[in-house]
Amino acid sequence: MNALEIKNFTKKYENFVAVDNLSLEIKKGEFFGFLGANGAGKTTTIHCITGINTITDGSIKVFGIDVDKEYKKARTKVGLSPQEFNIDIFLTIEKILWYNGGLFNMKKEEREKRIEELLKILELETHRKKQFRQLSGGLKRRVMLARALMHDPDLLILDEPTAGVDVELRHELWEYLKKINAAGKTILLTSHYLEEVELLCNRIAIIDNGKIIAVGDKSEFVKDGKSLEKKYLELTQKTKSS
Amino acid sequence: MNNKIALFSFISREIQRFTRVYVQSLFSPWINAVLYIFIFGYVVGSRIDSIAGIKYIAFVLPGILMMNIISASFQQTAFSLYFKRFAKYIEEYLVAPLSNFELLTGHIIGGVTRALFVGTGIYVIAILFHAASIVHPLWFFFYSVTVSIIFALVGVFIGLWADNFEQLNILTTFIIMPFTYLGGMFNSVSMLPEKIQWFMKVNPFFYFVDGLRFSMTGVQESNMIAGIGIITFCILGLGGLVWYLFKIGWRIRG
Repeated sequence: MNALEIKNFTKKYENFVAVDNLSLEIKKGEFFGFLGANGAGKTTTIHCITGINTITDGSIKVFGIDVDKEYKKARTKVGLSPQEFNIDIFLTIEKILWYNGGLFNMKKEEREKRIEELLKILELETHRKKQFRQLSGGLKRRVMLARALMHDPDLLILDEPTAGVDVELRHELWEYLKKINAAGKTILLTSHYLEEVELLCNRIAIIDNGKIIAVGDKSEFVKDGKSLEKKYLELTQKTKSS
Repeated sequence: MNNKIALFSFISREIQRFTRVYVQSLFSPWINAVLYIFIFGYVVGSRIDSIAGIKYIAFVLPGILMMNIISASFQQTAFSLYFKRFAKYIEEYLVAPLSNFELLTGHIIGGVTRALFVGTGIYVIAILFHAASIVHPLWFFFYSVTVSIIFALVGVFIGLWADNFEQLNILTTFIIMPFTYLGGMFNSVSMLPEKIQWFMKVNPFFYFVDGLRFSMTGVQESNMIAGIGIITFCILGLGGLVWYLFKIGWRIRG
C-alpha cells in the first residue's frame, strides 16, 4: 500500500495555479525528499495533504484514505512539522504536547506516557516547563517535531525541519529521523539543504512552478559522480530555459 | 469517529486561554461591575425612589450583568480566533481530526463559559451589595446562555473577518456599547420621550436586557414572545452563517 497517493492534484488561488495536475506516490516506509525553490508548490501540496488548504481538483490519499472525503481518519495518520512556528508561544512545552495529544483523541494516560517518551528522546526534559517563546531556535524546532510525533503518525511530514538549527543539533535530528524511518515510519521531507536530502532520502521528487519535473530513486539523481545540488540546478534551469 | 476527547481538549484550551489572563478577562469586568453597582446603585440610586416599582439598583443590575455577558462571550471568541489566525496556530486545529462543526462548537462553548464565569462573579458581587435577586431561575439561565451564544457567534464572525486589532474592537465600540446603553440598561421605556420610544423597541439589545431583568425582578416592559423570537432568529441566522464560513474555510483554509 502507498503511504501517499496524489492523483492529478491541482491547487488554484483565484487565477493563480500554485500546483498543476501533480501526481505522486510515496511507498510505505520510504524517506522521500520533496525539493523545489521557494514558491514552487511544496508547502501548498503539504497543506492540502494535511487539511490546512482545500484541494481544487484531483485526489490525495494517505494509506488509502481520501484526505477530503474521510478527513478525520486521514488526519490521524499524518503528523506535520511545518516550516513556520505555528504555535501558541505562551504555552509550555508540556502543555503544547498535552493539548495536541488531546486534539488527536489520546487518552490522559496515553498522553502522559507519550510526552515523557518524546521529551526524553528529543532531550527536552529540562525545558518542559518553559514557554515556547523562551526557547532557542533549535529547541523550538525540536518542539515542532515532538508535536508532529505526539500522536505517533504513520506518515511524518517535515517542512524545512532543520532551518535555523545549528550543525550539532541537525546531526542529532538526522540520526533520530533515520532511526524512526528504519522503525517503519514513512517520512516526507522538504529542505533547502540538499546534502540533508542526499543523506536521508531514498527517493526524491523535484517540483518547479507547480509541476513535478523529476522523480526517482536517489541513485538516479546522483549518478556519474554528480552531487544532488548540481543535478537539481541542471533540472530546474532546464525548465526555466524551456 | 468519536471526537469527545478532542472536543473536550479544545474547550479546556479555550478556558485555559482566558484564565491565563485572568486580570484582564475576569477581574476587569468584576471591578467595573463593582463601580457600576456602587455609583448607579448607591450614589445615584439613593436619590431615585424606584423605577417600574423596583429599586434603581435592582433595575440597573440586569443591564450591567447583560453588558458584561455580551462583552465576555464576544471577546473570547473574537480574540481567540483572531490570535489563532494571526499567530498561525489555527493550523494546529486544521490538521487535527475535528469537523468544522466541532471547531465552531468548541469556540462557542469557550465563549459561553467565559460569559458564565464573568456573570457568576458579578452576581456574587451583587449579593455582597444586597442587590441581587432571581425571580425566575430558568429564564435567568435561558437569557444568560442564549445571549452568550449569540455574541460568541458574532465574535467568531469578527475573529474570521478582522485583519487587525482595530477591527476587532469596532463592533464593541460602535454596536455593543451604544446599543446596550440605549437598550434600557439604565432607564425604562416610559422614561424616554414618546417620540423616540420606538427606537428602544426596535433595538434587539432591549429584549436581551429586559428578558434578563424579567428573570431577576419579575418586571418586564418588552414583549417576551418577540424577545424569544429575536434570540432564536439570531442564533439560527448567525449560527448558519458562521458554520457556512467554516465549511468553505473563509480566511482560515487557503
